[in-house]
Amino acid sequence: MHSRATPCVAIIAYGNPLRSDDGIGWHAAEILRKELDSVQVEVVCVHQLTPDIAANLADADGVIFLDAAQTGEPGEIRCARVEANESGQQFSHSLSPGQVLALADHLYGKQPDAFMVSVAGESFDHGDALSETLQSALPALVRTVVGLIARLAPRFDSSDFEARNTCVRAQLPI
Amino acid sequence: MPEARTIVIDPVTRIEGHSKITIHLDDQGKVEDARFHVTQFRGFEKFCEGRPFAEMPSLMARICGICPVSHLIASSKACDALLAVRIPPTAEKLRRIFGIAQVVQSHALSLFHLSSPDLLLGMDADPAESHIFGVYAKNPALARDGIALRKFGQQIIERLGGKRIHPAWVVPGGVSDPLTLEDRDAILKTIPEALAIALRSLEWLKSTTERFREEIAAFGNFASLFMGIVKKGGGLTFYDGDIRVVDEEGAIVADGLDPARYFAYLGEKAEPWSYLKSAYFLPRGYPGGMYRVGPLARLNICTSCGTPRADEALAEFRKLQTNAVLSSFHYHQARLVEILYCVERIEQLLNDPEILSKHVRAVARPNAFEGVGVAEAPRGTLLHHYKIDENGLIRWANLIIATGQNNLAMNRSVLQVARQYVDGEKITRGMLNRVEAVIRAYDPCLSCSTHALGQMALSVQLIRPDGTISDEVRR
Repeated sequence: MHSRATPCVAIIAYGNPLRSDDGIGWHAAEILRKELDSVQVEVVCVHQLTPDIAANLADADGVIFLDAAQTGEPGEIRCARVEANESGQQFSHSLSPGQVLALADHLYGKQPDAFMVSVAGESFDHGDALSETLQSALPALVRTVVGLIARLAPRFDSSDFEARNTCVRAQLPI
Repeated sequence: MPEARTIVIDPVTRIEGHSKITIHLDDQGKVEDARFHVTQFRGFEKFCEGRPFAEMPSLMARICGICPVSHLIASSKACDALLAVRIPPTAEKLRRIFGIAQVVQSHALSLFHLSSPDLLLGMDADPAESHIFGVYAKNPALARDGIALRKFGQQIIERLGGKRIHPAWVVPGGVSDPLTLEDRDAILKTIPEALAIALRSLEWLKSTTERFREEIAAFGNFASLFMGIVKKGGGLTFYDGDIRVVDEEGAIVADGLDPARYFAYLGEKAEPWSYLKSAYFLPRGYPGGMYRVGPLARLNICTSCGTPRADEALAEFRKLQTNAVLSSFHYHQARLVEILYCVERIEQLLNDPEILSKHVRAVARPNAFEGVGVAEAPRGTLLHHYKIDENGLIRWANLIIATGQNNLAMNRSVLQVARQYVDGEKITRGMLNRVEAVIRAYDPCLSCSTHALGQMALSVQLIRPDGTISDEVRR
């Protein structure tokens, strides 16, 4: 369910939570949804990026995509800016983050700052639990996203953020 | 002299799942036969054996990411039959809302995301332009409407079921949680916009019909039976009713058939070239018992929709052809009529005085060893049939999926389009587009009987009788 009608930052976690580490974005999103509920953040968890996601960006100042990566050292967190980009496979069930941004721009005139935060996975086997390596990386991932929210959202209430961030830190073994 | 060849379209794009089409040409380069092959295999009926029956709704919902709610409902109804309980009236109403909310989002996906490129950009458009980005470039308002309508359905599912894909809220005996006042009011607020979109989308689609006169005549435009469930009295329903079968004249062939005894009048036949079985109406044999299900069939078999705007749209729909509406091209318009009905019906149900009742689940132990559940899924009639042992473990399961029931008609439609458009001497863009587009009209959900994995692409090959490729086109 959407946390906010007019969010500052949209967090779009995507992947298959029944494929172990592919669900890392969902795991992080659930923590963020719980801990950042009082700030202006909209958290959405989906299996794939579809055109509908563009509508979630219509009111967003910033967007953070969360996903697992198939390459890299397991647990490694990468953060990169994403630009609107139509190119790539044109399949309506599975768009790239750049394509979602392009849709948001064309359909809603919205060009939010966007980042892709990915974590290299270790196991993509059947199962709803993360590998130990990614379970260990989860707190750092949440910290990274919280830091990005502060950077992306001009209306972000920093005192609330500090309080919430403390809460996140207290809850997690950071 | 030209030699016999086969044209292969593999895989077919912009549908739910993986398939290929082969078009067989004779020595003169004329179309001799055409087949729609489903190339995936899943096997849900087998691997659920031995599982506790109460797990079935959640397991079956995993069959599909587009229509999990239909499987959830049909499966839970089969489990209700195992429990031999009458579920609370509010639970039934909530299940109805849940089911038709999914119809809205699924139909919107089919029409706006998958088929609108064909309808908006034309059948001869460059495939590189025929996608959702092509739609927004040509008609951004339509693209926004498609997204908003799909979101309308998804948000209802999310509010009721807790998540938009694979919710487990429908359970044997009812639903797990009642509707809250906050969620009821929030959904009601979204009704006017959804209604407005449905109405203007219908107007847009009707305005395009003239451009497709030729396709309407050739896209699955043939006599067949039509089947689905109707309310007592013949009204449109997606949740509960008896089976009705009508013919191409619109005459009722069979009525009041008990869905739980489907095996007495429906047969299934497997062909060696496809994993998708073909269902047929037993009294007419195979393949003479070919019938169609889904939006086109539902509007052909019902006497009315039962909501004011949808009934107006139905009256107009019925003027498209004499007697029954036969062309499968009109599945698109039928989808919009149904979306209209679903939005109106959701509003009616949400305003029902009992809808916020907390009594939403009947609890019982199994009281029967066999149960059948039926529902109208977006693509047509869906049946789940389970047998359990004395410990409540699944001993046997059979699923009759809508897409399998349309299989004979889809094959026949591909053949009709191929004969109309395919010139064996050269492969043209328009030819390929139309062969695929007629399949899209049915909105087949191959994931429902198989397993989708990987990315889609399109290649068409002309293959000589000796197996060598004489021509190839890739997309």
